[in-house]
Amino acid sequence: MKPYISVTVFSQRETVKGHFLIVMKVPASFRESLPGQFVMVRMKSCDQPFLSRPFSIYSVYSHGKDTFMEILYKVVGKGTEAFSRLREGDILNILGPLGKGFDIPSKCDKIVLIAGGVGIAPLSFLAERCEKDTDGAEIICYIGAGSLETIVGMDRMNGICSVVEISTDDGSWGHAGTVTELFRRDVELYEDNDSRIYSCGPNPMLGSLNELLKDRPVTCQVSLEERMACGIGACLGCVVKTKSGSLVRVCKEGPVFDINSVEFSEHNG
Amino acid sequence: MKLKIGVDIGGLALKNPVMTASGTFGYGEEYSDYLDLNRLGAIIVKGLSLKSREGNPPPRIVETASGMLNAVGLQNVGVRTFIDEKLPWLRSIDSAVVANIFGETIEDYANVAEILNDAEGVDAVEVNISCPNVKRGGIAFGSDPVLAGEVTRVVKDVSHLPVIVKLTPNVTDITEIARATEAAGADALSLINTITGMSVDIEKRVPHLENVTGGLSGPAIKPVALRMVWEVVNAVSIPVIGVGGIMNARDALEFLIVGAKAVQVGTANFINPGIATDIIDDIRKYMLEKGINDINDLIGTLEV
Repeated sequence: MKPYISVTVFSQRETVKGHFLIVMKVPASFRESLPGQFVMVRMKSCDQPFLSRPFSIYSVYSHGKDTFMEILYKVVGKGTEAFSRLREGDILNILGPLGKGFDIPSKCDKIVLIAGGVGIAPLSFLAERCEKDTDGAEIICYIGAGSLETIVGMDRMNGICSVVEISTDDGSWGHAGTVTELFRRDVELYEDNDSRIYSCGPNPMLGSLNELLKDRPVTCQVSLEERMACGIGACLGCVVKTKSGSLVRVCKEGPVFDINSVEFSEHNG
Repeated sequence: MKLKIGVDIGGLALKNPVMTASGTFGYGEEYSDYLDLNRLGAIIVKGLSLKSREGNPPPRIVETASGMLNAVGLQNVGVRTFIDEKLPWLRSIDSAVVANIFGETIEDYANVAEILNDAEGVDAVEVNISCPNVKRGGIAFGSDPVLAGEVTRVVKDVSHLPVIVKLTPNVTDITEIARATEAAGADALSLINTITGMSVDIEKRVPHLENVTGGLSGPAIKPVALRMVWEVVNAVSIPVIGVGGIMNARDALEFLIVGAKAVQVGTANFINPGIATDIIDDIRKYMLEKGINDINDLIGTLEV
């Protein structure tokens, strides 16, 4: 049986405006977490917010005997606001790891990561694993943010990737515009079977990336975000439509999907 | 001391009074990693219709104060696919299986109930009458005593199984509907279904749910559910199953004391997928503490 477990907050800090990095001490079994998988999180001490919140895993690592899990998140509402007030020693209830992660190639020339905002979180975890597990891969990252103050997760990517390209909506840093536009400039470089593209970000961004990549041979996986009540496939709150018209649950069949398999709706952009 | 916690619900024998509510427990298998399904009184599966249904477009859920609104829209695989693909697995579980059914016309209900007659491993039928009747201007079957009685009678006529009718709280007087369904032959009643509600995004000035309105569930509705169960228990003589906002054994015990012969745990399964068996354990603890040997000695003992 895999119930919710109580974990202790090891540390928390605001990394850039409105974005928090929380580190939890977790059981050693969490070392089996795969990039792209998520956890359901809620307060231990009170029943508000009522529902657990799903978060992509940002990293899992061991230090001595202890195992730590990191979550990188943006404050967007009541739940994330409450989490942002947590301090060292506070207790959370978590369930996971859940869902299907990214496919990690054992051998590959170029791994391209395209992140929109806090969508960097699962991609950063993926980059860490590819650095270890994928033979001979050059890892390249494109990061999109609203402005200079909200570029999140860049430092870690700088340590792993050969190239980190930045775009900001307001042009305060890097390319002025969207990250998909920035990537469009380079797309021809990755059009072969030895490149893999991975992306996570708001749905309109993934939709425009899908548009850009359609009819190209390159493999691209995306991680989707949806509201969830249970995280285990029962509430049917997180369903999305596939291109063939059927419904899939982001929590169970995803959150990682082939970019060509799902429709990108606008509602949660 | 050997505790007796089995109950009989209109011909459906349950090993204990804790069932999992339709729409919150998938087809059972979803929860097999999180609790021992064999320990449940009954598993009530996701509502089944004659044909598969896609449900409503997202967003389908939103959190509210002490609860949630959902407008999933009765997405399901359809009764035949349920029998072919979901039921075989459920047969390996030693708990009662209740098929929740719904339709858009009276004939739909009859057809689904008839198909389930031959399905080995289904122990009872629960009829969701909260759906709109497409042939009569969309009025919900469950909000009209005549329609509610008609649906009940049609299902009773064709079904070989115990028939539980699930009542909607979105009515002026739930006892009127309860009496009508009892008169039409219902073996038991379950209540309440969700309470219709809505929630608005003040930044975009749009409803949080694509469907605009949705069904409210969770602890927010428990006092309403308890009051309605109390009213219905006093209005009918068939067994009543209490549903609505049960989060722990204390909540479940309130329903039993008021007179429900069993309870359904719903939204709480989303919050803690192992909660249903925890509730069974804690009901046992309560009985030991209070020296109650048989759960039936507790049911309906409210003093007013």
